[in-house]
Amino acid sequence: MLRSDQILATVEMIQKENLDVRTVTMGINLLDCRGGNIDQTCNKIEERIINRAGNFVATCNAISKKFGIPVVNKRISVTPIALVGAGFNRDDFILLAKTLDRAATAVGIDILGGFSAQVEKGMTATDREYIASIPQALAQTDKICASINIATTQKGINMDALAMMGPTIKKLAEDTADQGGFGAAKFVVFCNQPGDNPFMAGAIHGVEEADTVLNIGVSGPGVIARALERLIGKHPEPGSLQFDELAEEIKQTTFRVTRCGELIGRAVSKSLGIDFGVVDLSLAPTPTIGDSVGEIFKILGVDAVGAPGTTAILAMLNDAVKKGGIFASKTVGGLSGAFIPVMEDAVLAEAVGEGSLCMEKLESMTCVCSVGLDMIAIPGSVDADTISAIIADEMALGVINSKTTAARLIPVPGKEVGDHVNFGGLFGASPIMPLKNVGMSSRFIAWGGRMPAPIHSFKN
Amino acid sequence: MRKQMIISVMSKDRPGIIAGVTRAIYKLGGDVADLNQTVLCGYLTMILSASFEPEITKEDLLASISHIKTECKFEVSIKEIIEGTEDDVCRIPDDLYTLTVQGPNKAGIVHGISQFCYEHNINIVDLATTLQNDQYTMALQLDLLQCTSSIETLQKELDEYSKQQNLTLLIQHNDIFQVTNEVTLH
Repeated sequence: MLRSDQILATVEMIQKENLDVRTVTMGINLLDCRGGNIDQTCNKIEERIINRAGNFVATCNAISKKFGIPVVNKRISVTPIALVGAGFNRDDFILLAKTLDRAATAVGIDILGGFSAQVEKGMTATDREYIASIPQALAQTDKICASINIATTQKGINMDALAMMGPTIKKLAEDTADQGGFGAAKFVVFCNQPGDNPFMAGAIHGVEEADTVLNIGVSGPGVIARALERLIGKHPEPGSLQFDELAEEIKQTTFRVTRCGELIGRAVSKSLGIDFGVVDLSLAPTPTIGDSVGEIFKILGVDAVGAPGTTAILAMLNDAVKKGGIFASKTVGGLSGAFIPVMEDAVLAEAVGEGSLCMEKLESMTCVCSVGLDMIAIPGSVDADTISAIIADEMALGVINSKTTAARLIPVPGKEVGDHVNFGGLFGASPIMPLKNVGMSSRFIAWGGRMPAPIHSFKN
Repeated sequence: MRKQMIISVMSKDRPGIIAGVTRAIYKLGGDVADLNQTVLCGYLTMILSASFEPEITKEDLLASISHIKTECKFEVSIKEIIEGTEDDVCRIPDDLYTLTVQGPNKAGIVHGISQFCYEHNINIVDLATTLQNDQYTMALQLDLLQCTSSIETLQKELDEYSKQQNLTLLIQHNDIFQVTNEVTLH
């Protein structure tokens, strides 16, 4: 038997720190679900999802009970729908979204991702129809998430697609104005989007993947925060604890958290008889008190989130999480790092309200975190070109730094700085983020074309 | 076919007990397989299994161990394992769970928990307890193969029991502890 102190450390993690597996996401290939017309295609897709994921939720629940670790979300990702719907028009894509929504409800999952396209270099006529369908497709469905990859380090930025993002996001928010523009929270724009990310809204089942694959998302900012507090509590003397020791604690705690995710994931995939894909070890906060990445910044030494030092702390945190997780898991993938979704993190949202965390600081933080400008509520009056331009800056960070970046901005209809928006549940709440220099970027967005790939992408 | 014997020794702890007992076994041509020892309040207890040629009897082994020169007396007990009986089935449980029990020290904690296990036909495979600052901690490895309740029911009953007894109880699959504490991923 293991030593008692080892056993008790694990018990502490499960009992007091709310260790869980954040998501088990089943990736399903839909490429061969193409029928002669839209109706046949919808039928084949529904049949495929029900066939592959019929037992998915029940199996996750059974394994979760066996191991005594909660599996918070059960999700599905599918092949980017623009590929499956080649040749279909805007209305057909809305039907595809409704079909996916119906199938998701039938198998009892929380969210389905993959209403997506990859247009980093150029767009087909289908891709344009798909983009046109996004506002209504998301407004008319409950469980569907959309994402689009408009940039990669290899290809640069598709500026034509970029110019369409601002208007699409504005329309999406306006079409869901009765829910505070919630539709925009289900749509994310990517640079270097991974094909095996289990987290929403950006989960897709990449074309490089096998038929059906199971990916796991482990999280646990609360576990990391409590581990750090314990370590700091044991060293009350000033100078008796240094930054590298805090990094080591994060690394070791991430190792344990990842291992639990891997165990559950492999058990579920074995039980369902499908391939195990990857563990994505991301610190993904939830609005629950004590499950915050923002809180970790404060524990690690800044009195306000956004104060000088915040970016350095995030850089260390992101790196330590990756190091612990990569050693723990046989196959790591997805986004793997720390997320900073403002609305979903009570401490980050509070920092926006207090004025300590501004858009510019968040942008610099996204250079060292694992995703990007995530879940930021901005004034509903901001023009579409400014939104596209914010996304352009975020895409450029990803292109040049060879990393995944993304933007999920919510221009909340009818709300301005000083107002507050609340989506409830995991999507959280936040004051509206003030933006500087609004309406100053339209000439830039109007160029269209492409931003060429950077010199360091030419490695052949 | 060699003969298997289980040997249990208890003695006041001092250097050289294992050396003495294993020398006695070695002299009879015995081969030690598994050995487990622990020291509690200055007393050592050890259990080990060893194989011998068929002609060696447990009386020979007892005599050999009795000849060890020592100031403190050994209490020795030996059992021969007879082939084909239940004795020689050495099963590694695959439904192994770890139960942790924590709470203020009082009489009857170990008995209460072990009685609970007995009533549910749960076999205790390993058990360690510590008492520190009047806080009692138990960690038990349990084989649930023959258990009369499902893990779900068991968890509910343990919750109930923990409330009644003012103890903190948690039952988790053993694999969780293994994966979070060992480098090798099985």
